[in-house]
Amino acid sequence: MAFIEIQSLFKRFKDVVAINRIEFEVNQGEMLTLLGPSGCGKTTTLRCIAGLEKPDEGDIVIDGKPMLSQGFVPPSKRGIGMVFQNYAVWPHMKVFNNIVYGLKLQKVPRQSIREKAQKVLELVGLEGLEDRYPAQLSGGQQQRVALARALVTNPKVLLLDEPLSNLDAKLREELRFEIKSLVRRMGITSVYVTHDQAEAMVISDRIAVMDSGNVVQIGTPENIYEKPANKFVADFIGTTNFIPGEIIRVAADTHTAVMRTEFNEELHCHTSDLTATVSGAKVNASIRPEDVEVFSQPPENPENLLKGTIAHKAYLGNFLYFFVNVDGTMIRVQVSHQLPQEEGEEIYLLLNPQKCMILF
Amino acid sequence: MSRGSISLAALLWLVIAFLVLYPLSILIIESFKIAATGGWGIGNYLEFFQDAYYLKTFLNTLYLSTLVLVTTTVFGIPLAYILARYRHLGKTIFTALILLPIVLPAFAGVFAFIIFFGKYGTVNLLLMDIGLTEQPINFIYGLHGLVFIQALHMLPFIVLGLSAGFTNIDPSFEEAAEVEGASGFRRFFTITLPLCTPSYLAGAVLVFLWPFTDWLTPLILGQVDFLPSVSYINISYHFTDVHRKYMGIVAVVVSSVVCISLFLLARWWVEKKKYTGLSKGTTSEGRVIEPSAWVKSGAYVYMIFIAILVLLIPIVLGLAAFSRRWVFEPFPTYWTLENFRLILLESPGLIKNSFLYSGIALVFGIAFGLPVAYLIVRTRVPGRDALDFVITLMLAFPGIAIGVSYLLAFWKGIPLAQYWIIMPIALFARRLPYFLRMAHSSYLQLDPSLEEASEVSGAGKVRTFFNISLPLLLKGVLVGVVMFFIMAFQEISTAVFLYKGGWETLPIGIYLNWHRGMEFGIAAAMAFLMIVITFILLLIISRIGGGVLKAAWGAGEN
Repeated sequence: MAFIEIQSLFKRFKDVVAINRIEFEVNQGEMLTLLGPSGCGKTTTLRCIAGLEKPDEGDIVIDGKPMLSQGFVPPSKRGIGMVFQNYAVWPHMKVFNNIVYGLKLQKVPRQSIREKAQKVLELVGLEGLEDRYPAQLSGGQQQRVALARALVTNPKVLLLDEPLSNLDAKLREELRFEIKSLVRRMGITSVYVTHDQAEAMVISDRIAVMDSGNVVQIGTPENIYEKPANKFVADFIGTTNFIPGEIIRVAADTHTAVMRTEFNEELHCHTSDLTATVSGAKVNASIRPEDVEVFSQPPENPENLLKGTIAHKAYLGNFLYFFVNVDGTMIRVQVSHQLPQEEGEEIYLLLNPQKCMILF
Repeated sequence: MSRGSISLAALLWLVIAFLVLYPLSILIIESFKIAATGGWGIGNYLEFFQDAYYLKTFLNTLYLSTLVLVTTTVFGIPLAYILARYRHLGKTIFTALILLPIVLPAFAGVFAFIIFFGKYGTVNLLLMDIGLTEQPINFIYGLHGLVFIQALHMLPFIVLGLSAGFTNIDPSFEEAAEVEGASGFRRFFTITLPLCTPSYLAGAVLVFLWPFTDWLTPLILGQVDFLPSVSYINISYHFTDVHRKYMGIVAVVVSSVVCISLFLLARWWVEKKKYTGLSKGTTSEGRVIEPSAWVKSGAYVYMIFIAILVLLIPIVLGLAAFSRRWVFEPFPTYWTLENFRLILLESPGLIKNSFLYSGIALVFGIAFGLPVAYLIVRTRVPGRDALDFVITLMLAFPGIAIGVSYLLAFWKGIPLAQYWIIMPIALFARRLPYFLRMAHSSYLQLDPSLEEASEVSGAGKVRTFFNISLPLLLKGVLVGVVMFFIMAFQEISTAVFLYKGGWETLPIGIYLNWHRGMEFGIAAAMAFLMIVITFILLLIISRIGGGVLKAAWGAGEN
């Protein structure tokens, strides 16, 4: 059931279109992530949901109530909690006062305020720190205060704007799981903004990938990684190789196509877009480094087999990473086993036809 | 830490010892001299705090300071908020107008408002002409007038501090409050204003100290029962009564102690409450609001009201300067250049002195300030923080304390005060922190690696300074230089104790012409001349700061 509906939302800043009539829904109790590079409109979208930004057109419906079309509902009346990128923990107030600020405004009785604050402090693991000033806390602790402050009023919607981007890598990974389990336990509908694809994969039920003001794909993390809708998504989520070429044959019934690469080899690929995949079309085949198999000697079955020279070889502990030069096109390959070939030597690559995708 | 920087530090400390520590210690020693016995003791201080009159002046001054601070705060908060947050036309011009009193000599305002708001000044005469009032209304003589004039003069310090605060606080602090459910005034008073207290306090302490420094305004308005005025009268007019002189010195020391303590207290508090470091990724513009039409018109009316009060000073002085015998008439009727002719023919020395003394003070300022800034920012010489501290304290010292201590210290033992060079030296000592702050902050912004690259390329420290550092520091330093010059140019509270016949500067000339001869035409012409000169210097600042250098270094601060 849709709890938040974004209806053809449009916002421009002077001459720049920040969000271009986007549509999506967030289900009750779901964690949806807006993922994209900086400037893609993800933060603007989140700020529109919060009411900190007024969109030029469109509507936002939260729990059945329109936020724009029947008069602008200010942030203070939307029943949301928000965690800001830079924490925004008020430095002149102690942790306790930071957390109960919203409760006081709601005129919650004093005793109840104490209880709720105590509970949320335990929840985020800040017991005993309520009398500290923010300056006496570490970055991670400040972020927990921000989270506690957003959760204590028991909001209908939780908005998180790159909440982990100012923390160091170790802490970031730790907090990802913590936020996920916390939000899931409380069952709050949340929208999470990040540019970090790994973070998005870990934390989200669903991801909405955004690019220059548009939502280009919505789906589960698996779905988006395995079946990217276009070149942008494939490139942005994870690492991939693009091999340019031209379509020479299409088999519509099996969703397969054969492409001739610029270095004159034939590649069998999967395609989801049959209208655009026609003979003669200039396209890119995308294959992820882990979907390429590596051989010292050419194997029996020669389909999708390429011969190349190792340009770079790197040992990364749990796997090997190769840059293989195939007639001037550089292909990245990741293998989990040792291989005797060194830089400058020849090698055979087998591109799995099931994982080789035609993208536009 | 090189031997060079240690000798440099030693040299600079010598200068400070000679020009600051020595005279101030003489001042303190003198305050313990007992006139009746010729001995020493704390008798003067005991008398000061037991005598009903001195005690009254002390409390009066505290009271006046409080009133001035409250007035500037009440008027300054909305003004700063409008300037910092509202999108409006003429932002630059309004900011410039509202900040104008900083660079106008304080006494210029007093004269202008007496002419305009005095018992038979323009406003009263107009009111009586149209029959609204029978008797003149006392707008200006008395405590209320004093508060008005001092508050208008100090308003920029509050506005500057607060608007910087309003601009610099991270917008997300307020957004977080908005999301939590606090709207409008609630958010302003629980989040915005408390976060601005450090930047407010920096200005507020200077405002509070002003009544401890300004002896002239109360004197002109017939209010003498304030510490600086009492000190001035006791020392300048009653030097034959040695006991009164010592009591005057005690009053100076007491003022200084109050000023220094409050200054340190505010500094300590600001250091403790530094909030700015906590926010990350602020936008350069801060939070700018598009207010509703009603609010916007209200804001304009308010800004124009303050701007008119400020503009009255140059306008009224201009009218007085170009007329003669402007008495009992709302506006002058007899226009003439006579006043200027008299200044140029009979006392061109005043103009020459003003430029000469301020100019020499400026050269001292640069020669001293740049090395100090270098030592503080770039080296680890022991005692550099103390050096910074002592110089910064000069901000809080009442000008009268420096004037009196120089008079005491450099008269007999080291007879520097018998030569005119004492004038520029005193101006230099009094206004030094202004230049140092500016040089200091531009030094902080200069990336050390730029200098290191030069040293790696083979240039020595001195060469690096002139080839790399100085050209890059120039913008900040030049603005500092002009500000220093303006402040030195209008200095009176120190200079008035030290001048001898032939050493008069323009501010002293204004005071003498007004005070002694009631030649307010000439005084007004001199004040007007000063305003014009200051204005030209300000134009130069904005030219340097905004024109040539903006092209060379890209758009700097707005």
